[in-house]
Amino acid sequence: MTPLQRTLSEALLIALLGLLAGLAINHRLVLDAFAGRLAASTSAAATANAVLPQPVLLAEVRELAATGALLVDARDAALFADGHLPAAVSLPLAEVDRLLEDFRQRFAAERTLILYCNGYGCQDSFDLGLRLMNEGYHDVRVFEGGFPEWRDAGLPVAEGNK
Amino acid sequence: MKRSGRVSYHLCRLLLGAVFVWAGAVKALDAPAFAGQVAAYQLLPYAWNYTVAATLPYVELLAGALLLVNVRVKPAALLLLLLNALFILVLASVVARGLTIDCGCFGPDAGTTPLQALGRDALLLALAVAVYRQGDRYLPPSAARS
Repeated sequence: MTPLQRTLSEALLIALLGLLAGLAINHRLVLDAFAGRLAASTSAAATANAVLPQPVLLAEVRELAATGALLVDARDAALFADGHLPAAVSLPLAEVDRLLEDFRQRFAAERTLILYCNGYGCQDSFDLGLRLMNEGYHDVRVFEGGFPEWRDAGLPVAEGNK
Repeated sequence: MKRSGRVSYHLCRLLLGAVFVWAGAVKALDAPAFAGQVAAYQLLPYAWNYTVAATLPYVELLAGALLLVNVRVKPAALLLLLLNALFILVLASVVARGLTIDCGCFGPDAGTTPLQALGRDALLLALAVAVYRQGDRYLPPSAARS
């Protein structure tokens, strides 16, 4: 075996070990994905012409987030810091005037947005959705169950300001 | 000359290792979110995005950690070299297809555009090549073959 072959086979072994470690730790996630248990597929085009934010259910939130949709937390910054959906960005309805410009620069108008707040009694995500649609975002959805439904389903929750 | 070469080699090794340990750890902490970033590249079938998200961070983490602790440096550098070459191809396809997505390289919403990520990966590739090529010369004493 030449030195290059030896190095290459060791490199592949490292890759294989990393792969196995990842599969061992995340086996449930991968199995669920292959079994289609994470969510039903939804059509992004179906809501492209909608004039109101469209409601989405928990399963659809997970599916859409996994295909590149952006989760937007409409609650205030302190609640966001206490706990929010993983990878969500904070855009409190009360501060939207101040934060909107930065938001628009970071996220393209073509991006699917999923807004949420404190569950079915909370109107902020819907109001924020209307505002964002006025600003040119055309695929805006509202997860009405919001943070409480996500948390109570035992799904991972992120903390902090980022 | 020799001493400065040795110092710069070890700095490259540590920098490359630290970058990949960081990149791997950030993504490993939130695999479902990383699956979303992978899906945004629109290259793989649905479930395979999760498979990549479940495994790639650990490959990066392991290879980076080996570089940091100065064990199996050459194969680890070769693996990162090949991975970086793959990332560059993938990012080039993103640019070619005109997708506006976050790179996802260092976790969700790091805010890196595909072009910025391409530049960064080119630097990391150069770093990996340098560590790989110098790897023989500065083996730790325990690994030196007589």
